[in-house]
Amino acid sequence: MSSETATREESRGGVKELAGKYLTFALADEEYGISILKVREIIGLMEITAVPQTPSYVKGVINLRGRVIPVLELRSKFGMPAQEYNDRTCIIVVEVRRSGGTIQVGMLVDSVSEVLNIAAEEIEAPPSFGSAQVDTSAILGMAKIKGDVKILLDVNSVVGEGLVNQLSDL
Amino acid sequence: MADEQISVSQLLDDLAIKILVVEPGDLSAVGDLLEVSEKLLGHAEVVDKPVLAKMADAFKKALEAVIMGEIPDSPENFDRLGQAVSLMQEVNRDDAADPHAFTALLTAMGYSVDPADFGGVEMDSSDAEASGAEEEIDTRFLADPELLTAFIEEADEHLNSVESNILALEKSPDDSEIINTIFRSFHTIKGIASCTDLDRISHLAHATENLLDEVRNNRLALDQAATDVVLAVCDRLERMVENVQVVFEKGVDHFVNYQVDDLIAQVGEVMAGADRQVLPEAETPPAACSVKEEAPAETDRAGEAVEPPTEEKIDLGSGDIPDFMQDADLVAGFIAEAFEHLETIEANVLELEQAPDDIDIINNIFRPFHTIKGVSGFLNLTTINKLAHSTENLLDDVRNNKLPMSADTIDVVLGVGDYLRNMVQNLSDMLEQGPAVYKEFDISEWIAKIETLQQGGDLAADAAGDQEKEPAASAPPAPSQPPVSPAQPPAAQAQTATASPRPAAAPAAPPSGSAAPAKQKIGASIKVDVEKLDGLVNAVGELVIMQAMVRQNPLITDISDPKLNKDFGQLSRITTELQKTAMSMRMVPIRQTFQKMTRLVRDLSKKSGKQVDLVMEGEETEIDRNMVDSIYDPLVHMMRNSVDHGVQVPHEREAVGKPAKGTVKLAAYHKGGNIIIEIHDDGQGLNTDKIRAKAIDRGLMNASDNVSDHEVNNMIFLPGFSTADKITDVSGRGVGMDVVKKGVEKLRGKVELISTPGEGTQFLMRLPLTLAIIDGIIVRVGEERYIIPTIAVQESIRPRAEHYKTVQGQGETLMIRDSLIQVIRLSHVFDVENSCARLTEGIVVVVENEGRQRALLVDELLGKQEVVIKSLGGYLKDIKGLAGGTILGDGRVGLILDLAGLIVASEAKEPFVLQHGREEKDAASFEEETTT
Repeated sequence: MSSETATREESRGGVKELAGKYLTFALADEEYGISILKVREIIGLMEITAVPQTPSYVKGVINLRGRVIPVLELRSKFGMPAQEYNDRTCIIVVEVRRSGGTIQVGMLVDSVSEVLNIAAEEIEAPPSFGSAQVDTSAILGMAKIKGDVKILLDVNSVVGEGLVNQLSDL
Repeated sequence: MADEQISVSQLLDDLAIKILVVEPGDLSAVGDLLEVSEKLLGHAEVVDKPVLAKMADAFKKALEAVIMGEIPDSPENFDRLGQAVSLMQEVNRDDAADPHAFTALLTAMGYSVDPADFGGVEMDSSDAEASGAEEEIDTRFLADPELLTAFIEEADEHLNSVESNILALEKSPDDSEIINTIFRSFHTIKGIASCTDLDRISHLAHATENLLDEVRNNRLALDQAATDVVLAVCDRLERMVENVQVVFEKGVDHFVNYQVDDLIAQVGEVMAGADRQVLPEAETPPAACSVKEEAPAETDRAGEAVEPPTEEKIDLGSGDIPDFMQDADLVAGFIAEAFEHLETIEANVLELEQAPDDIDIINNIFRPFHTIKGVSGFLNLTTINKLAHSTENLLDDVRNNKLPMSADTIDVVLGVGDYLRNMVQNLSDMLEQGPAVYKEFDISEWIAKIETLQQGGDLAADAAGDQEKEPAASAPPAPSQPPVSPAQPPAAQAQTATASPRPAAAPAAPPSGSAAPAKQKIGASIKVDVEKLDGLVNAVGELVIMQAMVRQNPLITDISDPKLNKDFGQLSRITTELQKTAMSMRMVPIRQTFQKMTRLVRDLSKKSGKQVDLVMEGEETEIDRNMVDSIYDPLVHMMRNSVDHGVQVPHEREAVGKPAKGTVKLAAYHKGGNIIIEIHDDGQGLNTDKIRAKAIDRGLMNASDNVSDHEVNNMIFLPGFSTADKITDVSGRGVGMDVVKKGVEKLRGKVELISTPGEGTQFLMRLPLTLAIIDGIIVRVGEERYIIPTIAVQESIRPRAEHYKTVQGQGETLMIRDSLIQVIRLSHVFDVENSCARLTEGIVVVVENEGRQRALLVDELLGKQEVVIKSLGGYLKDIKGLAGGTILGDGRVGLILDLAGLIVASEAKEPFVLQHGREEKDAASFEEETTT
């Protein structure tokens, strides 16, 4: 119950409710954070089976102990330049609730950094660039920690309701 | 009222006799007693004998305690119960027996009763129900400490969560998920409180639940006032629960008499005050209150049930709709259950036709009606409740040998079952589409029929029953006989033979084969969440793969230690066994589906004036639970064909020297990893010549073609061919045959038809055992691997240049065995890189789907394997051309092709452009080669 409440607060509430534990990871030279409550596990890079007729940021599917789950490449999703995978590349498996149950999705990131406890006063509302510039809809807030900035992501909007809608446009 | 009085006396007599013959240890007999006492309770309440009702209630509870093993079922205790019954009889005669003697009896058994219960009632019988209920609040909920502890814990938890959720809701008022969570909490509190007999808590929670239901259906805004009320309810409930705990720990003295009416009224005000799209009778909150003030729900139910049907109908409109809307969750549960029960009823009634005196079967019919009655009463679905109740009474008379199980009775019970199904279906529609689709059902006709039967009347004049005669009045009324024990079959056993032959009846021999296993099957079983089952299957599958990978590790393969090798062998045997068991847990016998056919054949043959025996074989054959529903439709179409068109009418049959009664055989068996379902009729067979003429007419073949009769016959499965009018009229085959074929193909199966003129037709349906596993050919395209379902594969060949033809320089085709087949380049449709660009370097796999042939170009065939189908998950569903994924032997994911989707996707894709001029040149050179 408490985790559910936290979810709500995280996705809808003001900046003050965003305080909590975050898993931070790197994409290029930017640092991102997602609520630790969403994270199922972190796995090393494994062979990904490409799935045809999907957007380019869907890298494909992997076998997670007998379950087939999709993997998204976050760099590609955010329109950042691609990079060769290395031994720090890993997949963060997140679990999100959506109509009809929970789904697990892997997010391919450059490297995982640490788990941070972020206090409310460290968090600022996301900057606005105008939607033509940068789409900030998936950003919950910006955390300033010791001079660094962590971009806090809303996993629900990153993963969204699945590809059903996008696919119908193809 | 007089009737009720009589039946109370009867019930008491019944009880007195039954208790005499009960043997210690015979729990089913005790169960029977329990049912009688339940009825007694209901009737006593109706005739306004509160004391008797109390006694019956206590008696009933004592019986429950016996069943639960809380009270030893010793002969002494049964003696005491017998004495208790005689006390009740005294009370019934003059209303003046000493209730203390009664309580003393029960107390002696080890069952504690509070004499105050009875005392209180006697003192103030005019207000008996209300005050009785109040007294009970003190004691009843303390009866089961375990339940109570559980309640306190859960209620605490839920109340806490409600509070935090409401606060969260204030910040984001439109979040339906939070509202749902709060709703569920109240719903749960309501449920467990009513189980624990904490009526007030339950009522308050119920009213609040109604309020929240309005909110979540967007009929009511959760404004400040509403939030305040819900919070106030929360506080009150918290205090009440706290007090319950205090009472539980320190004793009844600490009981605080919390009132809830004020809050319920407030909730009602909020609901009434809001501007919502009101249902015709917005009696929601008052209903919640009135339930509380009136007698316990049971009284209502019993009372309603015995009211004459005329009053019933007035009730109907106001009764069903609003209540129905309030408890959507409960109603949904009821609908699902009711359908299941109705199915059980039907199956058992048909079985009963074969063995009209089998008391077990009658019980099997009685119980589902009883359950439907109970739940519908609880949900205030009065019409359903009433109809189920009447039927239950009818069946009760039958099983008590007061009435014979005549053909009419069977027809009525079947008819009621169908009618109830329609009613439940309507409920289900309303749940989905709103109250607008509400249909009024007039049950009076059925009630009248039931009553006629109960009075020994004869419905023979009725059109439905015309073909049968009621068997001569059978079983003499022998009410003293406890009908439960199978060791004492009713005296009317011999009557079985005289039961008139019915058109759909199976021959005398098979029933023993088909009916008996049905009863054995009632073993212990548990319902398991499908997700958990899938989890297990996944884990086991992974175990098998991991084990294979470990064994293939060079470090392991080099080990020569015999002991270790032996252990590995053992390990793999165990894992294989485990996998088999896990897969088999999804399997159910096909019996249920077959039994539905019994009904179908019965109705069809009756309608068409034919006599048809349905013989079933192999009902034990197991099939994947998920397939059960999907095979139903194809099966119905095939059965209908066999009965409607295959089997001739009696005089035609006799004219060709066949017995007047036709036989349709329905068989299932396993063969080579498939399940085969056969439908065999002994009718006239197909008119192959007509079909051939039709096929030529439609240009499907040439008159000169040498096509075998068998191939011609199977043309009736072609889409469009079947619905053709002529074939149906002339040879009598083809209604919905393409539906059959499509349905079977969807299940990755095949259907075939074998016809012998004059001797009959046979349908052969070959289906995979499970939808979870697919037999596939693994192909490589570039670096990707795909799985093509083997059942669709016709052949695979390495194409030769001279077979390659293009249309307008783009559309690629291959001439294979004189047919021109379009080529689908998988690498092109799926945008795979590094695939062979030249046709002649690859391999084409010729596949067939819904009559369309395509040649899939792949790089290489890697092998054939059975693979477990896995969904790609909610995120990636409905990708055209993919049926799902699977875990291959190396632990990687392989994608399974969906051919129907693939063909569509390939047609939607821009045509393959012969790139860089290379293939173009090649193609040109092919052309040259072939032309020169």
